[in-house]
Amino acid sequence: MLYMLQYNAVYGDAMTNESFENVILELRRGVIVLVVLSRLDKEQYGYSLINGLKEHGLEIDQGTLYPLLRRLESQGLLQSNWRIEADRPRRYYILSEEGRALLPRLKEEWTSIVSMMKKML
Amino acid sequence: MNTNLIDIYVSEVGRRLPRKTRADIEAEIRSILQDMLEERSQKTGKPVDEEMTLDVLKAYGAPEKVASTYLGDRYLIGPRLYPIFMLVLRVVLMVTGILAAIGLGVAVYQTTLTSLNAFETILKAIANFATSVMIALGNIVLIFAILEWALFRAGAKVDVKGLPKEKEWDPRSLIKVSTPNQVKMGETIVEIVGCFAAIVIFNFYPQIIGFSPSLNSVFENGNWSSVTFAPLLSEAFFYYVPFLTLVWASTILLNIVLLRMGHWTTLTRVFVIGLKVINILIAGAMLAGPSLIAATTGALTNALGDAEAARIMMTLLTQGVRVALWLAILGGSIDVIRMIYRTVAGSK
Repeated sequence: MLYMLQYNAVYGDAMTNESFENVILELRRGVIVLVVLSRLDKEQYGYSLINGLKEHGLEIDQGTLYPLLRRLESQGLLQSNWRIEADRPRRYYILSEEGRALLPRLKEEWTSIVSMMKKML
Repeated sequence: MNTNLIDIYVSEVGRRLPRKTRADIEAEIRSILQDMLEERSQKTGKPVDEEMTLDVLKAYGAPEKVASTYLGDRYLIGPRLYPIFMLVLRVVLMVTGILAAIGLGVAVYQTTLTSLNAFETILKAIANFATSVMIALGNIVLIFAILEWALFRAGAKVDVKGLPKEKEWDPRSLIKVSTPNQVKMGETIVEIVGCFAAIVIFNFYPQIIGFSPSLNSVFENGNWSSVTFAPLLSEAFFYYVPFLTLVWASTILLNIVLLRMGHWTTLTRVFVIGLKVINILIAGAMLAGPSLIAATTGALTNALGDAEAARIMMTLLTQGVRVALWLAILGGSIDVIRMIYRTVAGSK
């Protein structure tokens, strides 16, 4: 019985934390596209984008960001070009015309989601 | 050394990526790693060395994990085909199991049972069953993998933005399910599997159609009897196999097209009518031509070990084939008339 209580205390907390982390990850995943698009109205390379987001308190895993940038480019929302800087190539991303047209609508949608959530929570 | 480590790491990621995008992703990862090293060097005030490179690579992640983030979800048989795949698999495994049980029953009946040969017979039956299951499983997986590719990958409609587009689903289609124009997915896939199996069996494994010594060998006086294989189908039958293969292959192609379209059109109906007419003509030619059965009463007597049983089996075989061909002609003709009616009714 004592063992069961200890087990629940240790692993029960661990499970709660894990579930919490998973939910937070899911929530953040939902906003990453909007965040990335909103930061790319000016040209940036991937690593500078990650650092910029980190300064604002949003840490994105590299394994999430780079495939996302490629996907957004293949969807026509971003465009990229390679540039040689300090003797080595860097890939710069920026919003495409289509991305620029879509961004205000996404922001509007985000605002309405926030106000709806505020009413519900 | 550091450049070498990065090269090795990047090529380890690259070899797990599709050839088409490999070079581009490799260049990007190399550039990111150099950025990370540069930043770390500035922060610590130390030059980039091997230890720092190892740290950065560790932080970036194992090559297989990094590669997987670029690959997304990939299926051999995706969630849309999986339920039908499982259904076909269950049916085929059940049929294979029943056939194996019948085979075992026949073998036990024809063998003079001793503890030794009973054990051998059962072992052989288990081995035959396992082989049949593996062949069936392999072929079904192959067919469904091809269907997955043909239906959802190669033909996935991609618009200018690169977003996969799906046909808009209409809930009203739920009440149209029984309408004649709706393609029945289950039936269509079963037909594809059947045609594929027929092509494989008649073209590549014709030797399995007959009376195999593995089921009929008799263990007597310490030796296996020298019962030879009695083929069931004659050369006259195999003359028709190229034509039948063409019809089966066309049926598979047509069914794939139907699955993708989701409904019958006048053109697909006319195509099916053509195939059915060819089938009727082949069945007619088979009826009029030389016998399709190769087995003779003598060969069957050798194989079965009983002259009376062989005579009955021979009569059943010859009459059975004639009845089957007549049924094929009759059924095919009814189908053709029905399809002509639907085509005319549908075009009005």
